[in-house]
Amino acid sequence: MEPVVRLEGVARDFWDGVKQRRVLQETDLAFFPGELTVLAGPSGSGKTTLLTIVGLVLKPSAGRVWVAGEEVTGLSEDALATVRLKRFGFVFQTAGLVPALSALDNVLAGRSVQSDRVKPGLRERAAELFGELGIAEYTRAMPTQLSGGQQQRVAIVRALLGDPAVLLCDEPTSALDVDSSRVVLDTLKRLARDPRRGVVLVTHDPRVFPYADRLVKIEDGRIASDTRNRDEG
Amino acid sequence: MLAHDRATTAGAVLGVVAIIFLVGQQLAVLNGLFTYMSVLVDHSGADIWITSEGTDNINAAGDLPTRYADRLIGLEDVEWAEPVVSGAGFLKRKDAQFQPVRVVGVRPPRMVGGPWEYEQGDNSALLDHDAITVDWLDRQELGMPEIGDVLEINGQRCRVAAFTRGARGFSGTLVFANEEKARALGGVADDRCSSILVKLRDGVDQEAALARMRVLLPRAEATPTAELSVNTRLFYVTQTGIGSSFGFSTLIGVVVGVVIIILTMYATVLNRQRDFAVLRALGARRRDIRVIVLYQALFIGFIGILVGFFLLAGFLFGTSGSRLPSFMPLWIPPVHALFTLLLCFIGSGLAIRRAVKIEPASAFR
Repeated sequence: MEPVVRLEGVARDFWDGVKQRRVLQETDLAFFPGELTVLAGPSGSGKTTLLTIVGLVLKPSAGRVWVAGEEVTGLSEDALATVRLKRFGFVFQTAGLVPALSALDNVLAGRSVQSDRVKPGLRERAAELFGELGIAEYTRAMPTQLSGGQQQRVAIVRALLGDPAVLLCDEPTSALDVDSSRVVLDTLKRLARDPRRGVVLVTHDPRVFPYADRLVKIEDGRIASDTRNRDEG
Repeated sequence: MLAHDRATTAGAVLGVVAIIFLVGQQLAVLNGLFTYMSVLVDHSGADIWITSEGTDNINAAGDLPTRYADRLIGLEDVEWAEPVVSGAGFLKRKDAQFQPVRVVGVRPPRMVGGPWEYEQGDNSALLDHDAITVDWLDRQELGMPEIGDVLEINGQRCRVAAFTRGARGFSGTLVFANEEKARALGGVADDRCSSILVKLRDGVDQEAALARMRVLLPRAEATPTAELSVNTRLFYVTQTGIGSSFGFSTLIGVVVGVVIIILTMYATVLNRQRDFAVLRALGARRRDIRVIVLYQALFIGFIGILVGFFLLAGFLFGTSGSRLPSFMPLWIPPVHALFTLLLCFIGSGLAIRRAVKIEPASAFR
């Protein structure tokens, strides 16, 4: 099976104010469709750095990156942004919704960041996704009127609206209560069943591990373990 | 973002309002003063003004022989040529105080160079031997005279026969009289006048006529009316402190407005850094971020221009017919609006620089 994203020898350095520090060591990793991959590790382990490199948000200091079989390592910033828009969906630690826009407008705005026009049918598709994620009645609600879990589901709708090949989630449940976390994780698990889409989730919360099809543990910028766990969760 | 950051948006709108209102108000007053500077020229109805040699400001014209008018009438080009007399004087008010005035004398029956609009009375009032007109807005300076009041100018009797409207001078309160009376009041010799107003016959080439007049009157200045008006205004702008004073005030208005716009738009971007980071992470390119900030600048500019012009209209309405000169030519508002929009875009430059530097990775922190 062709990976949706493949990393080869990818590393990342940061300037810590005194010297260059390598926060992500040379890493080879591939992410596959139909799979919920959890990147786990303690704070500062490099898991979010890895996620942002996978999502083409951060350029690696070394190594190469392929998305859907095409190498994107040398692409310009603008070209990478377009690949992000077309291939990736993002769910952030906090929902990252624009407070002045309704839930539906937030979702549509996520798809119109490179043009002002909302493509025909997108509004209807968004309404369907609101329904599928159980928040159909909140399309007109403002972010402040939604609970944390509902906001995250709106963010998931925003991420899914472009029908991305990869859904990247950065600690999506860290700000949620137990019940909301369960709803969000169940949703992500269900979404990962789609054979056209891979889901990558970063967390330091062990309670998320049972949802993983594949658990990649990262410590000190290195992959400490990489195990598949399809029967659990 | 704009709707959410109401306070900062209101601040930026205030900056635009400041530009529109402060600069617009300065321009209105300056144009009001312009109308005063060249008021006699602009309302003369003449095509050409004959003045003393070297005149670049009608309010400082020397005198010239009245007989020049007779010479001019001899030209085939000329339909009429009428002398205008101008003299300085002190008007003794009813309360015995004195007020400097400029007496302008016009020749009946055409009364060329005389009043063009009346609050009370008409041109026929000037046919009376003692008659003078004063402007409605100058009444307070002149001691609130009424129609029929007998006053003195330079110790000579005169009678208020009409009130003009809009005939206010830049270099002194204007009082109109017929030629004969003005000579007496202003102490102007019978064979001298301050200018001669010329009307050309229909179809006459103005440049050719001017050339003939310059040959005919080599010791005088022959100037088209529009040119003399511009020259007079330019004289005051460039040769007195008016230009620099208004220029400085206008510049201050622009600077204050631009600074407010820059700071508030920059603050808006700073407040919404995470939103911009999220947009970048979702796929917005740097140019998309520029468009967003420019769109915000356009929105702020549009609202500010609407509010600013509303206030400016109130100012113009409030000062219309008052002693404060204000006049807004029709071409100024659209130019002013476009200029202000341009300033909004320039003012958003710093915010754009900040916004495009926001790293998409910061959405993950």
